[in-house]
Amino acid sequence: MKKIKLLLITMLVIGLLAACFSEEGGTVTDTKEGGKTTIKVAYKDDGPSNEVAVKYYETLAEKLKADKDIDVEFELVEVAQGNYSEKLSLLLNSGEIPDLIYFQGGDQQIANQDLLLDLSPYIEKSEYLKDVLDPHHKSKLANYPYLLWVKPVGHKVAVIRTDWFNELNTSEALIANPTPENYKTFFQELVDSGKADYATTVAGDISELDHTFEMAFGINKTWLETDNGFVFSKVSDQEKEKLAFYRDLYANELLDPQFLTKQWDTKEDAFYSGEIGVIAGTNGKVVDFYNSRMKEINGDKAELTILPPAKGVYQGFGATDITKESRGLAISALSENKDLVFDILDYLASPEGQMLDRLGFEGEHYNVKDGEITLTDKYFAEWYSRYWEPIEVDLGTPISDETPMLSAPATESQKVVNQYFEEDNAFLIPEEYVAQWDAMENLYKEYSADIITGKQPLDTFDEFVEEWYAAGGEDLTKLANEKLK
Amino acid sequence: MRVKLKRMREDWVIYFMILPAIVFFAMFHVIPIIEMKLAFQNYRIIGENTWVGLKHFEILFSSPAFKDVLWNTVIISTMKIIFIFPIPVVLSLLINEVRSGTYRKYVQSISYLPHFLSWVVIAGIWISFLAPDGGVNIIRNFFQLPSIDYMTSKEHIRWVIVFSEMWRSAGWDSILYIAAIMKISPSLYEAAKLDGASTLQQMRFITLPALASTVVTVFILNLGFFMNAGFDQVFNLMNDSVISKIDILDTYVYRIGLLNGQYAYATAASLFKGVIGLFLILGTHFFSKKMTGKGVW
Repeated sequence: MKKIKLLLITMLVIGLLAACFSEEGGTVTDTKEGGKTTIKVAYKDDGPSNEVAVKYYETLAEKLKADKDIDVEFELVEVAQGNYSEKLSLLLNSGEIPDLIYFQGGDQQIANQDLLLDLSPYIEKSEYLKDVLDPHHKSKLANYPYLLWVKPVGHKVAVIRTDWFNELNTSEALIANPTPENYKTFFQELVDSGKADYATTVAGDISELDHTFEMAFGINKTWLETDNGFVFSKVSDQEKEKLAFYRDLYANELLDPQFLTKQWDTKEDAFYSGEIGVIAGTNGKVVDFYNSRMKEINGDKAELTILPPAKGVYQGFGATDITKESRGLAISALSENKDLVFDILDYLASPEGQMLDRLGFEGEHYNVKDGEITLTDKYFAEWYSRYWEPIEVDLGTPISDETPMLSAPATESQKVVNQYFEEDNAFLIPEEYVAQWDAMENLYKEYSADIITGKQPLDTFDEFVEEWYAAGGEDLTKLANEKLK
Repeated sequence: MRVKLKRMREDWVIYFMILPAIVFFAMFHVIPIIEMKLAFQNYRIIGENTWVGLKHFEILFSSPAFKDVLWNTVIISTMKIIFIFPIPVVLSLLINEVRSGTYRKYVQSISYLPHFLSWVVIAGIWISFLAPDGGVNIIRNFFQLPSIDYMTSKEHIRWVIVFSEMWRSAGWDSILYIAAIMKISPSLYEAAKLDGASTLQQMRFITLPALASTVVTVFILNLGFFMNAGFDQVFNLMNDSVISKIDILDTYVYRIGLLNGQYAYATAASLFKGVIGLFLILGTHFFSKKMTGKGVW
């Protein structure tokens, strides 16, 4: 009896140790079960425990079989809870590389090891994808062909409650001529009228304000062209002027005094409760969410109005970085099903694929009646497109005007962002500069925060510029002038 | 030796129960030490890593940012050792003097509670408590003192780190000392009382000497974690205005290593941190052994 016990325990221990240590990293094998090819997918929040995600991929597999005779099944990889980019990076670095991977940063290190597929030749040969790409997608793919993200250009757009906006005397002047001065006057009236405690705030990061104001001060690219070559915009005279403006807003209590410690949730709460009058949100879905939440709390009259970007030397929401997509889908270069995975991505850009990806499940997220698609409450509550969101979408059937995919303010935010689209001249920071770049960014963050909040005089900016060049800016500027000339 | 082995065979079930702890220790403490060789390599996900010698250490030590974060780590850790370490000892002595059992349990429970809160929650509480219109500044204003934005103040932020850690850990850390006090024979106190010793004298001549070995052991072990200045805490309390004051080794390693995928570089920084911890433990142990005859072993 004792021997049997000992044997069982030994087997248990060996099993435990094997489970702990046997995970050998490497490629994903072409597993076929019942003629089906298994495609491993790593996507944020889409683990096997997410019922909506499981149903999505099951439905996608059915549609692929029916429409394209592609016989696949999807295996969702459970990425550990927490910061997705960090956890995904740990997963990939352990050697487990799924066929299809959604990145939210951290992709460059994987691409540098030749583990991501160059998508350019595939896109060129694609049936649908090549036609839904905007110019900025093409530019990004030309620079970095490993990541694809067919979504509208994203910028932060300033929004305000329409009822408040209509009641302010300075609104008309702001729309007619949105200079930084007129913005300040508008903000001042917003506070003086007692509507909001502070005109605007950000979630700890002043760059949210930059989307509205930066270009008015002449910052239209990351590297500004001067008579002496290219200069990094954050150490330019234009930057100093912009910081002086923010400093003025802060000193006049128009910018929330606690903007440095605000989080995204406390920022939104302050907006809905009326403590703050204007906040910035990403065009499209985020503005849509702000709008529906604001109406839910303060009634339909509080629907949001989109404010224009400030006008000065230039006007716009800032240049769009085209070095690469900051997030998106990639295919593992080690996958044995590369062509198949790309075919799936291509299918998702087709009208049939878009019906699923954009609208969800029929009868649940939308209904088709009298030749029109009506979106349900469940669609607005839980659905989002996991893959492609081209601006022009052909679903074959029109969507009812009563239930548009995006609210009027959200649609307007998309429109204005596209109207002011401009390409940036930023380039990828080489790996050997990563530590220096981190130090230079921290220098900027701290000096700019101190200047805006009045802890340091405006002239400290010159001290910052000197320190920035000494911390590695000199080398980087030299590199920029070589790359951009 | 044979007797020992015989006993082990007889009590094998008990020894078997420590197996999970051994596996855990091997996985999270022994294997990482072996894998520290990554600090001398360039990491490849697929294929063999390539040896690069001291390259990552050279980059690390030549980086001005690293010197700053190292200095911040030393300052914050020293402040924590000086100002936080004695608090659980004092708290355990005070709790030991509470005569009412109900009140004593109440005080203990309340002081343990913050330990169970995550730093995200604690940071939220402290940020609103120390805000210009928060509780502390309301009190300051009551006494005609101007408001201070503690969270963005370079002069105060390190103290915020120290006090918030003190609030979170003092109660929980006192458990060990309370347990040590419970072990003291009541006859010693009774004899002292008969000799006319006051409460303070009992504390000074009975409780504190009995606690000494526990305090020394905990102090030496704590020094091993000297370079762990508190990643979660700093990460949640940091804002743009105070980066230069509280950016520590762990937050630096997180940014450069995990977010930028420089694993070998981050391992080099962690190895450096571990070596300092090892020297501190050994140094303090031998010093304590020489001075008081008590050490970790």
